[in-house]
Amino acid sequence: MITTAWPLLPYQISAKPADLLYTNFRHLLHAKMQEAPDREFMIFPETDRRYTYREFYDLTITASEWLRPRTRAFGTISIIFRNTPEFLSIFFGAVAHGINVVPINPDLALQEIRFIAENSDSEAVFYDAELKHKLAPLQTEMPAMKFHPLADVADMPKVDVVAVEAALPDVPPTTPAAIIYTSGTTGFPKGVILSHMNFIIDGMGMAEWFQFSPATRSLCILPMFHNNGLVVSLTTTLYRGGSIVIIDPKASLRSFWALVDRYQCTHTSVMPSILAAILALGFEGRPGRLQAIICGGQLLPLSLAEKFEAKFGIPIFEGFGSTEATSYSCFNRFPADKRKLGSVGTVLPISDMQVVDENDVEVPDGTEGEICIRGANVAIGYHKLPELQEMKFRGGWYHSGDYGLRDSNGDYYFRSRKDDLIVKGGEKIYPAEIENVLSQHPNVAESAVIGIDDPILGQEICAFARLKDNSANSEADLLAYCAKSLARFKQPKRIVITNRLGDMPELPKGPTKKILHRLLRQYYEKRLANSEDMETLKWVLGSQG
Amino acid sequence: MTSQEIYSALAPIVEQVLQIPKFDETTSMYTAPMWDSLKHVQLLSAIEKKFDIEISADEAFKLTSAERLVRYLQGAIDKGTRS
Repeated sequence: MITTAWPLLPYQISAKPADLLYTNFRHLLHAKMQEAPDREFMIFPETDRRYTYREFYDLTITASEWLRPRTRAFGTISIIFRNTPEFLSIFFGAVAHGINVVPINPDLALQEIRFIAENSDSEAVFYDAELKHKLAPLQTEMPAMKFHPLADVADMPKVDVVAVEAALPDVPPTTPAAIIYTSGTTGFPKGVILSHMNFIIDGMGMAEWFQFSPATRSLCILPMFHNNGLVVSLTTTLYRGGSIVIIDPKASLRSFWALVDRYQCTHTSVMPSILAAILALGFEGRPGRLQAIICGGQLLPLSLAEKFEAKFGIPIFEGFGSTEATSYSCFNRFPADKRKLGSVGTVLPISDMQVVDENDVEVPDGTEGEICIRGANVAIGYHKLPELQEMKFRGGWYHSGDYGLRDSNGDYYFRSRKDDLIVKGGEKIYPAEIENVLSQHPNVAESAVIGIDDPILGQEICAFARLKDNSANSEADLLAYCAKSLARFKQPKRIVITNRLGDMPELPKGPTKKILHRLLRQYYEKRLANSEDMETLKWVLGSQG
Repeated sequence: MTSQEIYSALAPIVEQVLQIPKFDETTSMYTAPMWDSLKHVQLLSAIEKKFDIEISADEAFKLTSAERLVRYLQGAIDKGTRS
């Protein structure tokens, strides 16, 4: 049945509606289980746990029954796990009830976790038992919220699978499946609501683009609490009945090639920073059966792609997308000899893309403008942010805020963002999130945050702070203050106290007194960058000696 | 070496690399936010130097907590893999 058989939002209707063969996650998993129940589906090398399609399907039904007395069908829950069977069984078990799942990064600071759990209207939080000590203060602060630890899926009582699945509700494809939180311009994370249809259509689009098959074996080294892990590694591979090797992202770097080789992986999805680190650290390895590396989330420097391909002989396929379009909407053409390097490729058949001017009028090919997306992979919208919703999802298109152009062959080129978004190792961070925290410090009069070049992560974070008169706080004091409220990846690498700069004691401002981040970036590049820009690389390389 | 001796030998290395105040049996990638992917690489390199061993890439991704590190090192030492 085509997608338009269901009530779609204006920006979810593309020129060529796609076939939706599976209406929800359980339907998709059940169909693949019936095709090949004994085929291996998931491998977790860290704990040596493996699941066939039948075993994993039964596990998700078991999880759905475990969740039933702890949740409400079609309600909302938060889950805090690493890339484990516990995460995936809870996710599939919950969405089988029509529950909207909010995956939360375990590394977030407590107040960030609290904001997401409350903002999403979660009724309960399910978390890895290993996080018990970390989350204990939140349980005291949030007495109305139910917290449920889970150490091991094997602890869940066995169930009669047939009886349990018969009692599960019919979940329409437009039902929300997840709220993915991303950085927000206001200083607080914003929730993007994705439906079952969004995931399945985007997964289908990529699985067909890269000609996935039951022989496909994906290596998942990106976190499942982000849409990239959930869609590019999981849904795409599931869609074609392949198998997935799932590993903790923080532990995978040094073992990348060993995992590729040992598990005979055919595909993987990465951020450019991972390729940069593998090259910089000099990790050698055999590509084995690896056929393609899917890459995006931040700008892929052409020189990095060329060096990596020359060294390892594996083609990199760069794509373009956003959480608001589930994941990717656009990819380098497949197979490799059809790619146009330096481009982010052409639009997937599941969606439409166009480039528009400031009046939302489509511009001719070769002209730069804002990239817009529409189709069944475009999200339901933002959670409880009506003004932003109206601004970004207007005129039947999602307006990405990314600027670029399309050439006469239909290949897109990313150029820049109009706002000050920082992309650090694929993590998107708006300066306002950090500025909000610094502004709460009693001795900070004002602050501004910029992205600075980093040889591995793409960008790092630099904050400028002006202290109130006579304050003696050091950079280290302010860094420690940030560490209390911000996840590690959002903490600035450096904080510059402007009172102590001879040539810029005040933050530069425009006529409306708005801080000019552009001038701060220029100042950093001219005055401060030389001592900083290679620090990360030297530090990491030094560790190898 | 006993596990306690391994803890004692590991503690200064982990505390220095991860910049954490105290390394104990509860330390893991979960509980120490500083323990990110680049620090993991740096930490294993420092442990290899200290214990004069080579941690294979097939094992490196499993060494994500104090308990696992100590168990691995105890096994490596017991098997006489010190070179």
